[in-house]
Amino acid sequence: MSALVCALAPLVLAGVLGPAGAGKLFGRGTARQASRTALARLLRDGGRAALALRTLGAVELLLAAALLAPPVTPLPGAAAALLGAGFLGYLGYARAAAPGSSCGCTARPDTPLTWRSFARAAAVLAGGAAAALAQQPWWAAAARRPAAALCLVLAAAAALTALSADPDRRWRMPLRRLRLRITGHPLAATGGRTAVPVAATVELLERSRAWQSVSRVVRSALLDHWDDGGWRILQFAGVYGGGPAARPVLVLFAVDAGASLDTVREPAVRVSVIDADSGAPVMATA
Amino acid sequence: MSAYRTGTPLDRRRFLTTAALHGATVVGATALGAVDADAAFAAPIRPLDPAVAESAFAEGRITAINDDVLAVAGSYGDHSRVRVTGATSVWKARATTAADIETGDGLYARGVPLPDGTLAADAVWVNIVNLDATIRGIEKTRLHLAHGHHEIVGNLMAETTSAAYGTASPTADLSRLTIGQSAQVLGAWRPSDGSVDLVRVTVAPGAGRRR
Repeated sequence: MSALVCALAPLVLAGVLGPAGAGKLFGRGTARQASRTALARLLRDGGRAALALRTLGAVELLLAAALLAPPVTPLPGAAAALLGAGFLGYLGYARAAAPGSSCGCTARPDTPLTWRSFARAAAVLAGGAAAALAQQPWWAAAARRPAAALCLVLAAAAALTALSADPDRRWRMPLRRLRLRITGHPLAATGGRTAVPVAATVELLERSRAWQSVSRVVRSALLDHWDDGGWRILQFAGVYGGGPAARPVLVLFAVDAGASLDTVREPAVRVSVIDADSGAPVMATA
Repeated sequence: MSAYRTGTPLDRRRFLTTAALHGATVVGATALGAVDADAAFAAPIRPLDPAVAESAFAEGRITAINDDVLAVAGSYGDHSRVRVTGATSVWKARATTAADIETGDGLYARGVPLPDGTLAADAVWVNIVNLDATIRGIEKTRLHLAHGHHEIVGNLMAETTSAAYGTASPTADLSRLTIGQSAQVLGAWRPSDGSVDLVRVTVAPGAGRRR
């Protein structure tokens, strides 16, 4: 099995390095991307970073081509392992020097530095080491044990996809969408809810004349709320009067618990201002 | 007035309900500034009463709680002390009390500066976050959100989480949220695990027709 893994490693590695190299070498966004990578900081120049990225892309493409050729020498595998080790070192530097930067490792325009970046680099290192140990061409090994080879390649592809820069966008989101289509919307039960959320009541209150009539008294945001007999009571704290005569009050609004801006434009709101200490009404608001 | 001062919370609410329903009825509509959770992100409210000192504002992480005074370390290295009273509104995903405030929480506070250097808070919003996100997954009890490069778990709260579709009022109907939608998310961040308790998810007009 391990011989098969070593034999197929060049194929999988070429599949990883080829597209990444082509993206860096021929991608139109490479120059723009380079300025956002930690490489720009390392080389102190965005232009130099872009050149370095394109050169790296060319090296990756050459390595991919060499890996697909018959394994007459372990050099391509060793070079890929060296490249993986270099990636790991660079990522370590980038993490320390510019944690918010893009890693620039794949052909994607903006790839954040995450544990996946390190795992991808480690996979290149391990794949390179395995490819260096390959004793037979990958096509010969695959022809000898096609089923096992297919399973291995598929497993490697799945693992590499999971390690891809944006797994959510690439496979998790489509899978979740599919699941929702098959099993239905997990929140479908909320579609029948008719109760008006407190947020909608507060929105209605804030646009009412009742609010305007006492807004100079109100100081707090919503202190408390509860429903009682079809009414929704909203309680605020405030200060009535100025200077030495100022006293703390509670401002109470009673709004139809089933009303919102969608159903009523001019709500009837009952307003009451009471002394916070005695509970006696202190102000006529009409 | 005994029920008002010394009764159980239920008695107190009953008393206040009666007081509220005996108040003047005002009909009419006009557009005004907000004092709900959104107000935490609005400019400080300038009181209309000239006798009141202009509102001050404090923000940061709570480093210590001494009785009713919160020691707050601001985002820019400043320090402030925020005094919470019985008249201070406390928002922590919902209207609650000062007992729910914990060391390590983040806070925004609006209030009046006192001579002793503290800020007498009229309103505090604890762990409030307001961010642009993309919905990347929907489950029965949570949403998976992406904010920039960050993946955030949004906890759905029964009775509290609402959705606003376009300019319509917030509704408890969350069934029109779809994967891939851009959303403005208002909620309370949980310092313990980095997730967000979702209060309101606002998606673009016309959203939710497609499944």
